[in-house]
Amino acid sequence: MKRLKSLLAMLTLVLTAPQALALDAPKGPVILTIRGTLASPNVGGTAQFDLAMLESLAGRTAVTETPWTEGKTAFSGPLLRAVLDAAGAKGKTLLVRAINDYFAEVPMEDAGALDTILASRMNGKIMSVRDKGPLFLIYPFDLDPKLYNEKYFSRSVWQIKEIEVKP
Amino acid sequence: MTSKTPFGSDEIRKASRTTAAIQVFSVFLLAILVSVYVDISRRQSDLRDAVRENAMWSVYQFNREAHDLHHRLELMMSSQKIDKASLEELSIRYDVVYSRMTMLRETKFEQNFLSDPSVVTQIEKIQRLIFNNAPIFDAIIAGEPMSQASLTSLAYELDVLSRETADLLVYTNTKISAERAEGRIELESLQRKSMGLIGLLVLSVVLLIFTLQRQLKGVQAAGASLEAMADKLTISYQAAEAGNRAKSQFMATMGHEIRTPLNAILGMVELLELTRLSAESAAHVRTIRRSGEALLDIINEILDYAKIEHGKLELEQRSVDLLTLAETSADMMRGRAAETGNRIVVDLPYRWRARHVLSDPTRLRQVILNLMSNAVKFTSKGTVTLRLRQLRGEAGLCLRVEVQDTGIGIGEEGREKLFRPFSQVDASISRKYGGTGLGLTICKEIIDRFGGRIGVDSVTGQGSTFWFEIPVEAAAAPNLDVALQQSQALADLPSLKILVAEDNKVNQQVILGYLKHLKQTVVIADNGEIALERARTDAFDLILMDMQMPVMDGIEATIRLRASGGASAETPIIALTANASEEDRQRCLDAGMAGFQAKPISIAMLHRLICEVERHPAAVAADTSKAPVQAAAIAPAAPVMEAAVPSAAPASSATSRPASLDALSARRQEIADVLGPEAFDELMQSFFDDAVELLDSLRQSMNSGQAESLDKLLHNLKGSAANVGLSEIAERSQALRTTGPTLQDIEMLSKDIDAAKQSMAA
Repeated sequence: MKRLKSLLAMLTLVLTAPQALALDAPKGPVILTIRGTLASPNVGGTAQFDLAMLESLAGRTAVTETPWTEGKTAFSGPLLRAVLDAAGAKGKTLLVRAINDYFAEVPMEDAGALDTILASRMNGKIMSVRDKGPLFLIYPFDLDPKLYNEKYFSRSVWQIKEIEVKP
Repeated sequence: MTSKTPFGSDEIRKASRTTAAIQVFSVFLLAILVSVYVDISRRQSDLRDAVRENAMWSVYQFNREAHDLHHRLELMMSSQKIDKASLEELSIRYDVVYSRMTMLRETKFEQNFLSDPSVVTQIEKIQRLIFNNAPIFDAIIAGEPMSQASLTSLAYELDVLSRETADLLVYTNTKISAERAEGRIELESLQRKSMGLIGLLVLSVVLLIFTLQRQLKGVQAAGASLEAMADKLTISYQAAEAGNRAKSQFMATMGHEIRTPLNAILGMVELLELTRLSAESAAHVRTIRRSGEALLDIINEILDYAKIEHGKLELEQRSVDLLTLAETSADMMRGRAAETGNRIVVDLPYRWRARHVLSDPTRLRQVILNLMSNAVKFTSKGTVTLRLRQLRGEAGLCLRVEVQDTGIGIGEEGREKLFRPFSQVDASISRKYGGTGLGLTICKEIIDRFGGRIGVDSVTGQGSTFWFEIPVEAAAAPNLDVALQQSQALADLPSLKILVAEDNKVNQQVILGYLKHLKQTVVIADNGEIALERARTDAFDLILMDMQMPVMDGIEATIRLRASGGASAETPIIALTANASEEDRQRCLDAGMAGFQAKPISIAMLHRLICEVERHPAAVAADTSKAPVQAAAIAPAAPVMEAAVPSAAPASSATSRPASLDALSARRQEIADVLGPEAFDELMQSFFDDAVELLDSLRQSMNSGQAESLDKLLHNLKGSAANVGLSEIAERSQALRTTGPTLQDIEMLSKDIDAAKQSMAA
């Protein structure tokens, strides 16, 4: 009976999951939690990621100046849209929240139209909390200099711990 | 009349000076503007570089995190809840403070925040505080147990940290505020500068507008004074013109007045020459005649000049045969050339571009004859060459005529005087050669009217070449039947003896003139009876018989002549009538006439008749036109005539002009061409004289109620009017014949005739 149920569950998964592959459960320490309307949550309605999960997603390295660093700095990490796609997040606005409860409202377009990343490494090194880690939202200042202004600086949240997806 | 604008020019000069000054000023302003713009744009780029983090916000966050860290520790210690989880939470909070610390050191803040020495000292102080406590938190992360004493000292340290960051916050606020104020002051000064500059620009624009207005006023004043001047000029011009007109009028009147007695003198002299005179008297008479002719020439020239000056020179456009024109002109000069022992040579193009051109043959010939007579006059025992050339220029076909002589020639200063009225090269010339000195002036006027050029090349003692060039248009070669003015055609024409039976004086003159022009011998008979008598005794080659005549009409005279077997019993008789009905035709043919011609008589018709009589005396073809009465009465009998007058529309009633008008102009043109303008004028004069008499007779007949004579008189009037091309009067007279005139009708007719007279005299 139990086996039959699990078989059925597997069947439904196989039949319904061409686009919504279930997200694996995190194995290491959780560094990012996504809340909101999600197609593929993994832990009790939220999508939780450890560093390995994030770094396996499609990403990029942005070599750019920022107001908070000296000289050109290389930030690398998964694309924000890749992270949201992995969680199957749907909505219009993202509330990006930091460890100290600072948050910024980021419109969904910033994830779709711009190659914004959740940087997990600075100059190849994993960022500790003391170095604005674990995650730092970095806009593609290197691709579009017009983004280099205070409007986007205020959205560039560091020490990110969770993202809430608002409809 | 002043030649100065009293206000305008001064004003304009002043305004121009002001404008120039303002322009310099504007350029100066523009330079300042550019420098300010450069300044602003530089600041703009500074602004772009000044995309910075907000120091105030960062310091505030730092202070909050530090305060938060201290507060958490206090809470932990007071609640005695010092477990691993809360210690780890505390350590993360420390990390956040730590990261904020490095942020402060590394972040690019606005306006040299980090170069302020007090800020730097303060930050270094805070940094020391944070770094000093790092080992404690490292120990916490490593999981080492915390003693109460170390926590108490940490709490004290964090309290200091919290207060130090608060101090930094206050200082930052003060500093940023001061800097904001400075920035605002700088911005205000920049704005003041811009405002001042804009003010200056506005001022210069206002000044510009002001000077422009002044200039405009000046221009308006100048314009007004110019207008006033133009008005004055117009008035004086009109006055001068009026004087000139009066002078021309006077000359024309005097010319006419002189010519009348002169014609009588010449006529009498001709009669005298026919009588037997002693050799001495004959010489005197010859001298009188020559002087009279010379005088007539002079008067004619003066009249011509007056006419030209009066603006009455109108050119026509007809087909001209240049070859014939040249030949006839040369022929006319040969007699005079022989007198001075000169030879005339005609030099024509080897190949014509257009032998027939549209032009005014009368005026063209006048100019050529004038130039040739000059050449003959000033040359003796030499050669006078008439040369025609056709050039194709940009404006089309151009006719160049040269008259070259081997005479005395004209010097440089003499050439300048030529073509001016009443001027001869020197006074002795007129004594030696005679002439008014108007000839060349008239030529120049005519050529100007043609739109051409006239000039002379000459070497003193070697001769002169007078030349003119006029634009011409190629024309179709006219119908040969119409080549009436061609001497060759005239030369081919046989000379016949012709009897003309015609009661109307005007018609007599016209027919006589035409036949004389055609070199015919003419006898005029006033009515049928006289004609019959002449025809019995003399043998004529051709008889032209009017149908309606007093005493004996044409039909009766014809019947009697054919019956009488006189000298001209077999002579072809052509009926002339204005009543071109089929019935009349038949009557003519029955009476033994050979043909029938509708009036008015045209020279082409006479020409044709003479040719036919020569070829087949027995069968002169009749005019077979069966035109209705009116058309026959007013249109030229021979339609070929129209080809010779291109300006006339075809005589169909479909044209916009009434056919009668064309016929009129064509008719008058023909008469004037054949008889010459003088004879034409006289002819018109005699028509008007006749008309006055006819109208008087009409009035008398009306009063005495003689209907028959009324019809005759009207017929007569109609015939004469048609003959001189006054078709409307002719038509009206014809109409009155059928309706029967009232006195009022006759007065109307009289008015019409007066009006026609006025228009002719104009």
